[in-house]
Amino acid sequence: MARKSLPIAAVAVSALLLLSACASDPSGSASASATPKPGGTLTYATGDDEPPCLDPQNRGNVPQALLASQYLEELFYQDADGNIDPWLAKSYTVAPDGLSVDIVVADNVTFSDGTPLDANAVKVNIERVLDPATQSTTGRLALAKVTGVDVIDPTTARINLSQPDSALLESLSQVWLPIESPTALARPLADNCLSPVGTGPFTVQSWVKQDSVTLVKNPDYTTPPPGAAHTGAAYLDTIVWKFIPDATARFAALQSGQVDVIDTLQPENAVAAQSDPSLAVQIASRPGDPVAIELNSGRAPFNDEKVREAFIDSADVDSALQSVYLGTVERAKSVLSSSTRYSVDNANYSYDPDKANQLLDEAGWTTKNSDGIRTKDGTPLTVVIPIAATVPLAQAVYEQIQATAKTVGFDVQLQPKDTAAWWTQNYNWDYDAIGIYYTKNSADVLRITYDSAGNNAATVGAYHSNNTHLADPTFDSLVEQAAATTDDVTRADLYKQAQQIIVDGYYTLPIYDQQTRLGLRSDVEGFRFLPSLSMPTFYDTWLNR
Amino acid sequence: MTAVVALPSARRPLTAWRWVATRLAGAVFVLWAVATLTFFSIRLIPGDPAEAILGGPGSRATPEALAQVREQYGFNQPLFVQYLNEIGRLARGDFGTSYALKAPVTTVILEGAGNTLILAAVSLAVAWLIAIGLAVWATRGGRVSRAIATGLEIVSAAVPNFWLATIFILIFSIGLHWLPPVSAPGIPGLVLPVLTLAIPLAGFLGQVMRESLLNALDAPFTLSARARGESETGVTLKHALRHAALPGISLSGWAFGSLISGAVVVETVFARPGLGRSLLNAVLIRDIPVVIGVVMVVALVYIVVTLLTDLADRIADPRLRNP
Repeated sequence: MARKSLPIAAVAVSALLLLSACASDPSGSASASATPKPGGTLTYATGDDEPPCLDPQNRGNVPQALLASQYLEELFYQDADGNIDPWLAKSYTVAPDGLSVDIVVADNVTFSDGTPLDANAVKVNIERVLDPATQSTTGRLALAKVTGVDVIDPTTARINLSQPDSALLESLSQVWLPIESPTALARPLADNCLSPVGTGPFTVQSWVKQDSVTLVKNPDYTTPPPGAAHTGAAYLDTIVWKFIPDATARFAALQSGQVDVIDTLQPENAVAAQSDPSLAVQIASRPGDPVAIELNSGRAPFNDEKVREAFIDSADVDSALQSVYLGTVERAKSVLSSSTRYSVDNANYSYDPDKANQLLDEAGWTTKNSDGIRTKDGTPLTVVIPIAATVPLAQAVYEQIQATAKTVGFDVQLQPKDTAAWWTQNYNWDYDAIGIYYTKNSADVLRITYDSAGNNAATVGAYHSNNTHLADPTFDSLVEQAAATTDDVTRADLYKQAQQIIVDGYYTLPIYDQQTRLGLRSDVEGFRFLPSLSMPTFYDTWLNR
Repeated sequence: MTAVVALPSARRPLTAWRWVATRLAGAVFVLWAVATLTFFSIRLIPGDPAEAILGGPGSRATPEALAQVREQYGFNQPLFVQYLNEIGRLARGDFGTSYALKAPVTTVILEGAGNTLILAAVSLAVAWLIAIGLAVWATRGGRVSRAIATGLEIVSAAVPNFWLATIFILIFSIGLHWLPPVSAPGIPGLVLPVLTLAIPLAGFLGQVMRESLLNALDAPFTLSARARGESETGVTLKHALRHAALPGISLSGWAFGSLISGAVVVETVFARPGLGRSLLNAVLIRDIPVVIGVVMVVALVYIVVTLLTDLADRIADPRLRNP
């Protein structure tokens, strides 16, 4: 849909020059450029965290998804327009009452350990995600309505639901719900974390903690996803997946050719790579909630809609993005990331300090203290924002928002925290605003992150998945209805209304679509993103060297 | 303590076994204190390990998974009970299992310790070479070279590791293409990390050594060496330097500790596996067994190095040897 990639004219031109240079090469290696060349090792350097477990059924975060997309596959494939295609499933049938879905698995598929794919494998995988002992996070939240799985016949599994769930097939096309070998899953969790076994084009060979994971080609690969450029085994023999947390070192490693692909490409490096003919840039927007600053409407001052609106009006996001991200990211204009189906561009917030001042006056924040901070009944207009490196929003962006908000009288207090302290502050509702994102290939993400069920503080540690504390029965009913209908037009309309409630209530300030940002050596050919979560796949990739 | 620090008149030479026993008891006390301090400091700062373990980028935990993790690792027990469990395990020689890596802490440490110790030892040696070079140059050369050496010492002692590391990558990897920016097998991959650690340390050691080298070169024993017809190089190398090295040697114990803490930065920037990187990652998500394990290993190394510097002092300084 709104897939963004930045193919650089300079690279294209230089690639052409390279081709013509090869053509006139007396050694006669010209033909190699056009046909994929099998073999070789690709080194990928990730700046994301090292996954805690290589099996994304345990936990369920982005670093795991990046890696697992190379060796695990799902029942369904979601294309760039959000349509569902078969993958490890051959077909599906939704029951008339919507309370069960029959899934027929593809024929003659075996896992890389030789175990055949059958209906029982589907049952084992889904029930394992639901089992609390697996400690699944994202997968389990996605399967909240699943009550169990029945094996109807050797190739047909029936997924039973407590309520109709139109997002189920979308959920089953994300890599946090992969289908793994039941034989391998019978091992203890820790063993499966080290070497999960799926049907993917690569298999996990070894994991040297804090250094790298080595993947090798699956020679018997038979299940290329829709949109793949070839069939059969992958071209690359090996992928070395290195953990290089430092952005400068990571980009230097790419420039020097020590690695072939890097992720979390920094804005200044993206600009540098665009002018370097030996490098290429690939940026794709991920679905779900964009990177946004969510406002806690559960306590003062943001329990007042006028103050929320004033804060959003006072934040000069465009200037901050331009100066920090150097034009390499676009401002998000929607509550759902632009690559999410049913996303509506209705969050057209613009910088308007005059309006912010007027709203704060109306809301009773009329006096100012000696620091120029507005006060009401002696309380200063303070906005506490804990920030952590877990969320890819540069501190400089927060600082610029802090500066523009100050001009209308907000005292924005940025509190840098380490990972653990940040989650605790978040779960304790000890913030007024918080930068966060959520990756999910379905508008159903609204149910997880804005439904009133997601903001209860009854659980230990006040866990919540709804950071805005939005509690609106109309909203809850809209997302529930949307989940219950499979009619595309109705679903689109319901999700549109739901997004409008969030925008009209000024609950969140979308900043930019979360992205997979890659820098590649330009001789890395045949790269593409898997559309469901915009994760990279190296199945068609080959090294033109 | 009072038993050891007796009046000089009452001093008896300790028998070898008593010396060993005292040292050993001291070491055990230090390790217990380190484990206890580490446990409480990491549990009393804000941050719930279960939330950190489950809340990865782009995702949220679930209440069920949180409950499961709290149950599994005993976070739902009173803090003091958790502490007793932890100490009990350690006393049995069991470092436990990493929450995040799901591997025994012993494995995590063994995988990282070799890399970190090599990095620290080579850095210490290189720092010594640079420091001696600077100190000798400063004292033997004229006023200008002394001023330059002093300036270099101050600057290098003041530069932070993380800045130096980035500058080195920009110059030697991106600019000159001489050395790999991230950890690579063999000597080339070790050069930048070692220089990053060694240069600030060399600044400290050099400052200390230059002072005592100057004193030593004016001391009566160097005068008598000169009187015996020893060359100026011979005086510096054989006599003065040996004297001047003493405070530096005593500092090496401290220096080794600072190298280990520097390794946290260097291993992260240059993407080298090692204890420093393990420690950083573990602290961020409150992976307590790993934090305690690494800190105890570092404390142990510290104890051993201090012992070695004591011995080195005795070898370099005859006055400390027993008659």
